[in-house]
Amino acid sequence: MDKTRQITMIQIAAILVSTIIGVGVLPLPLFAVNALDSGAPLITLAAVLFGFISLLLLSLLGMRFPRQTIIQYSEQIIGKWPARAGSLLVIVFFAVLTSLTAREFGEVVVTSVLKNTPVEVTVIVMLLLATFSTRNDVTVFAYIHYFYFPLILFPALFIVALSLKNADALNLQPIWGNDPQGVIPGALTIAALFQGSFILTSVIPSMRRPQKALLASVVGMVIAGGLYVIIVAATVGVFGAEETKKLLWPTLELAKATSLPANVLERLDAAFLIVWVTAVFTTLLSSYFLTTQSLGLLFRLRDHKLFAFFLLPFVFVLAMLPQNIVQMYTIVRMVGRIGLILTLAYPALLLLVSILRKKRGEPVGEVAQR
Amino acid sequence: MTSTKSASPFEDNIAFIQQQCGMNDDFAIRRFHVFGQYPAVIFCYDFMVDPQALNFDILKAMMYLPPQLREADIKPDQLLDIVVNDTLYYYKIKLEIRPKLWIDNLTRGRTVILIDGIDEALVLETRQIDKRAIEQPATEQVIRGPREGFIEVLSTNLTLIRYRLQTSDLRVKVMELGRRTKTAVAVCYMEDLTNPDLVEEVHRRLSKIDIDAVTDSGILEQFIEDNHFSPFPQVQYTERPDKVVSNLVEGRVCILVDGSPLALIVPTAFNQFYQTVEDYTERFLLMSAVRFARLIAIIFSLIFPSLYVAIISFNPELIPTEFAVAVAGGRAGVPFPAVVEVLIMEVSMEVLREATIRLPQQVGGALSIVGVLVIGQAAVSAGFASPITVVIIALTTIGSFATPAYNAALALRLLRFPLVVLAGVFGLYGVMIGLILIANHMLSLKSFGVPYLSPLAPGIFQGMKDMLFRAPLWWMPKRPGLLQTQNLHRLNPDQPIPPSRNAKSPLDLSNMEEEER
Amino acid sequence: MAKLHSAKIIHLTCVMVLTLPILTGCWDRLEIEDRAVVLGVSIDKAPPESANQETEVAHVEGANPIPPEDMIRVAVQIAIPGRIPLGPGESGGGGGGGGGKSSAANTVWVLHVVGHSIDDALMNLQQQVASSLFFGHLRVIVISEEVAKKGLENINDYFRRNSEVRRMAWILVAKGEAMQFLTAAPKLERVPTLYLLSTLEEGFRMGKFPQDFIGMFWSNSSKKGQEGFLPYVELKKENNVEIAYFKGPKMVGSTSPLEIGAYMAIKGINPAGYRVIVQLNGAADTVITAATHRKARYSVRIAEGRPHFTIHIAFEQNVEEKYSEHIGIDNQEILSNIEKKQAQVAVEYFEQFIRKTQEAHSDIFGFGEYIRAKRPAFWNRNVKTKEKWQEMYKDAEFDVTVTMKIRRVGMKAR
Repeated sequence: MDKTRQITMIQIAAILVSTIIGVGVLPLPLFAVNALDSGAPLITLAAVLFGFISLLLLSLLGMRFPRQTIIQYSEQIIGKWPARAGSLLVIVFFAVLTSLTAREFGEVVVTSVLKNTPVEVTVIVMLLLATFSTRNDVTVFAYIHYFYFPLILFPALFIVALSLKNADALNLQPIWGNDPQGVIPGALTIAALFQGSFILTSVIPSMRRPQKALLASVVGMVIAGGLYVIIVAATVGVFGAEETKKLLWPTLELAKATSLPANVLERLDAAFLIVWVTAVFTTLLSSYFLTTQSLGLLFRLRDHKLFAFFLLPFVFVLAMLPQNIVQMYTIVRMVGRIGLILTLAYPALLLLVSILRKKRGEPVGEVAQR
Repeated sequence: MTSTKSASPFEDNIAFIQQQCGMNDDFAIRRFHVFGQYPAVIFCYDFMVDPQALNFDILKAMMYLPPQLREADIKPDQLLDIVVNDTLYYYKIKLEIRPKLWIDNLTRGRTVILIDGIDEALVLETRQIDKRAIEQPATEQVIRGPREGFIEVLSTNLTLIRYRLQTSDLRVKVMELGRRTKTAVAVCYMEDLTNPDLVEEVHRRLSKIDIDAVTDSGILEQFIEDNHFSPFPQVQYTERPDKVVSNLVEGRVCILVDGSPLALIVPTAFNQFYQTVEDYTERFLLMSAVRFARLIAIIFSLIFPSLYVAIISFNPELIPTEFAVAVAGGRAGVPFPAVVEVLIMEVSMEVLREATIRLPQQVGGALSIVGVLVIGQAAVSAGFASPITVVIIALTTIGSFATPAYNAALALRLLRFPLVVLAGVFGLYGVMIGLILIANHMLSLKSFGVPYLSPLAPGIFQGMKDMLFRAPLWWMPKRPGLLQTQNLHRLNPDQPIPPSRNAKSPLDLSNMEEEER
Repeated sequence: MAKLHSAKIIHLTCVMVLTLPILTGCWDRLEIEDRAVVLGVSIDKAPPESANQETEVAHVEGANPIPPEDMIRVAVQIAIPGRIPLGPGESGGGGGGGGGKSSAANTVWVLHVVGHSIDDALMNLQQQVASSLFFGHLRVIVISEEVAKKGLENINDYFRRNSEVRRMAWILVAKGEAMQFLTAAPKLERVPTLYLLSTLEEGFRMGKFPQDFIGMFWSNSSKKGQEGFLPYVELKKENNVEIAYFKGPKMVGSTSPLEIGAYMAIKGINPAGYRVIVQLNGAADTVITAATHRKARYSVRIAEGRPHFTIHIAFEQNVEEKYSEHIGIDNQEILSNIEKKQAQVAVEYFEQFIRKTQEAHSDIFGFGEYIRAKRPAFWNRNVKTKEKWQEMYKDAEFDVTVTMKIRRVGMKAR
């Protein structure tokens, strides 16, 4: 049996879910109500479908080239130098995404829990955490995601379940919203939260059966997207659209508005935020892993570990660039839009060209075993 | 005595042995005549051999001709044949021609007999070492389950395994490790079960060891484990033969070391450290609950103090208002921050624990009570620690004793300290960072190729039946998947379980019918 | 092997060098006993002469744009560590109160200060307390009626922005001075605010008052088609809780205690905790029933550009007592009689209550939200904003129908 192909379908799904669910969940309901007040769950759903297109393209590409990552097969499809330029863009984008994720979470922590701690410290701690773990191989990477998967899913579902008793269905009606103004930009902003799913292209070459990549991405997307929709629905259901618009991190506020029965813990916001460290960590890990691994492949290095520490200062400086939280969110939105082009259009282009030029990677699995 | 130029090779050999071992006072040399005519000499280390066997089964037998050969005339070239085949009442006889190996055999407690005119020496297994009786395992006691534990002597330990596992598929390969101690190390596995790659890997790692002394299995462990810097043990040890046997039939490999009562089991996953023999001998429902309590104790012993520090110093809004105010009152006189207070208490608790282990048993119990009184009550009344800290530390310490495996508990206890420090710096955030680091480390660990957190980490649902809870045995028909055994099923999955028929239905009873009438 | 070791050592050293500086700082460590745990806050209008008392803490003198007549007096109740004993049984704590039961005076410390805004006042207050104020356990915010009528925008903003404040605290509007709620000494509880809190929470559990945390008040006030309301309390021997209803951030009126029952009935909030006296024919026939369960259904139609609501409320009740043996409660007829009579009274009462809120332009029921949710077309065309709905609410029509069902009569057969 091939020793490097160890990752199962469920692990891929877990990787996708825990990558997608990250710090973006905290302001998610705000994005959604700004787009379409009481229709927030609907717009989230639309964004999920939108995000799924990119994932679909990636898994189709991955199944066409089951032995390679996007860095490698893009060279086969569109030629060496255009592909390298494209890969470099992808790498830079994910480095930026890593830094923004770290910064965003650093801001959340500094605003709500550790008020006097410098944001630099919280950011560097998260980045160091991701760096150490990035130095592992892809199997351990999959294990890490798989292990944290329930730790991410259940606290979120738990908060939602506890808050449901305060929810009011009227807040979610009409389901198509009252004021459909910023629908398209809003949907794009939310869809940008799914960009982490690009990690799929890095792990397909290690899948035991790459043919199942599509199934894995459907499962992953259903879970992650479902959680997104549920969280938005619960937040809007509890607060109402107008109140949600006044909150910077409505999901965190949702945790604040719930308490455990019997007053074991009086409030859950700090606890929730702390558990959410795992969710943010897995997201960071994915994007950083993608960055370093792609960089390693681009430079034809056998080992990507070298880059883990090498890139750290750059990512850290990037993270420190936004001057304040408002500017940071402006940048997050902007980068998200640019990223959509990259994560959607680039794979689409690759897939199209590969179909037209009838390029295919070497198959593995059942065919190879025969 | 030693003459450098003697005529016969016989005398040369005696001189050689004497030169090697003769200066030891516990070395015995006895000259005699085989069948009253051929000169011979016996060598042995005095106190390592069985004198009874030596006197009667060997010496006596060799001095007299066997009755059936009384009449025969024994020629020198027949001598060896007759001695081995007709004379000696002894089944463990080897012939050895290389003088160097005679010495090796002698140091191992065997007896070497040289006969004039014969080049080969007779090597007899006469070793008799005083050993303690088979007792109840001290560190792994059970209420329900076998009471036997390994002792130091390898042969006895192998016996204990073999009589529990009476099959020809049990392979025992003995190798010799330690340049000076020449310790016998036995590798046991099931021929038709265990993954051959695993067996090969164990042999490979063992054969690479080249050290002076192997005095215990713990020494070996440090040379064959995967990650030397990890606080977590990656090899399990046990002194229970039944545990070894059940691990063997699961497809693991066991390593026994002569002179050590602890067998090593590889590969090891973390969940083995909180499983006990009783989990399987008692009813599954109850033991699942007990195992759950054990898991909680593990988690307690790891994170409780850091959680306390984080909540008290960083997030007091998490605890109920009245309690928070009361805690603040309890802490009002304490001069240190909670981190320092907890660290001091933890360290003194460790000191106390260590002292209790070192002390003789009779004193130890008394000391621990005195210690708890001193540390707890006095510390509080001296304004040195708050009462709640004492409660937390006590819970933590007790929690760490609930883990069945001492080395795993030690690892978690050690990791508690960095967690407390992290909690003191970053509060709950720091605790979580620490836990993530620990979890990531555990996820990246492998023991002989098996992921340390299996079956959780690669996600083998079959194995998870024996992780958080213990499923009924009939519900776990397969061996642990990650060991990649050659044979998958440990029980026939089609057997009717639970037994579906009553032996006697109350309706069948005749006296019931009589009562009817 | 040796090479590997040195690599590892370099690696470890790097890690140490990177992480050690982090360990040197404990930026946020603040021991629980070093925090002044604020349990309650009260906000009053400052007395007129108070502008002179102020010291220069938060702003340069004269630089604050808020005129002195809008200044507020903020009082906080701080728990004194050690005075509230650990666990049950132990009394007195650190020997402060001389044993026995500790009264409010020595379990908490109330201090007050004036300021131009909440934060300004709290800054001034911090000057008086050595340890830093901690709002994580803030449970009750009491606001005087005067301040409430002026508007809560500043107060809402401050407490919403502060991450320590929980969304499950309560805001109360006080009849008269708000600070007296912090200084009052209740008999049952060692801490005055906690007693106030348990009054409200028990009231909710017994169906006397709807749940109305600060977060709910904020949500309701934010909604376009709804107004917020707060408990309106007076410091008397009995716990007298009413509803103070708001128009936007300003308090515009208050109800009577029984009208809370009407509010809860119209909203269909359970559990129901109010008792109703019914007279069948004369004083002798008086029966008291207790509502156990309510259910409200709305429907709306648009007539002549105005919303027309039909509210149907169903009650389930038990008979609690009657005045005399004049009538026997033992047949269907008498039960339906009681039901009919009661429904009649209720309809009238409810309509009157709705009219009262209509006049104040304060839709505390959220009828506007109902329209927004169910008739989005009408809403988008005619309403859209909160202000418009406040206008339109006044002209809305309401039809209330009530169904009473008496289910049980207790242990007595007649």
